[in-house]
Amino acid sequence: MNRSQLDHILKAHHRDAYLWARQCCSFEDEMAKDVLQQAYLKILEGQAKLKDASKAKTWLFSIIRYTAIDEIRKGGNVVSLSDSYDPVEIIEEIDATDYEGIIKHLPEMQREVILMVFYHQMTIAQSAEILQIGLGTARTHYDRGKKKLRELITKVQIQEEYGK
Amino acid sequence: MENNEQLERFFDQMKKQDEHIEIPAFPEVQTRKFGFWIPTGIAASMIFAFLFIQKPAPVETPAPEVVIITLHEDENQNQHFTIEESTFLDTWESPTASLLSEY
Repeated sequence: MNRSQLDHILKAHHRDAYLWARQCCSFEDEMAKDVLQQAYLKILEGQAKLKDASKAKTWLFSIIRYTAIDEIRKGGNVVSLSDSYDPVEIIEEIDATDYEGIIKHLPEMQREVILMVFYHQMTIAQSAEILQIGLGTARTHYDRGKKKLRELITKVQIQEEYGK
Repeated sequence: MENNEQLERFFDQMKKQDEHIEIPAFPEVQTRKFGFWIPTGIAASMIFAFLFIQKPAPVETPAPEVVIITLHEDENQNQHFTIEESTFLDTWESPTASLLSEY
């Protein structure tokens, strides 16, 4: 695949790629811009190679995710995988329209699978590929994430109603 | 089939909110152009090194090691010494050869 074809693919997915980078960086704009730039560099310098053009979006999302993980590690902000199953409780009050704030309360893996499926219209299998986990594990994260997000949305709505 | 209506509504609203996010322009990424200059530099250095190694070393004339002192007698029967420096001798006469004929 030559440079202009890669450019074309990256430009076609640029908006989604930036939004995904933001979601991988806890919605921090500046970090997301850096991560995206680094991911593009990796691709254009040939450190990451696309073998199957039909999987371009999955491939790009995977690179962005791992670049974001590296960037977060550099900042010393690491969450272990075992934390992904811990229940997350809302401590402070969240606005029902603060969607990012609500999503952030989901454990990391559940949040990523849910965002890929519901926000980026991907399949659970594609999510599993991006996260480099088995399909069964991805399904578990998906089911738990959905359940937890429903609970969170309901809690926030009740909080708002009660507050009024 | 589970009802995901609540979640879909949530994400639809989130996407609507995200439409206001400013997307950075697609960066004009300047890849590091190592591909051409480094091999060229290495090749040029190797060519120079090769030429340098292949250049024939100048043949040094050896320092004269032999001093030839010849005694000549001219027509007036005056004796003269001729001193020559050389690296080799065409002919060599033993300094004691005269003893054989004289004694």
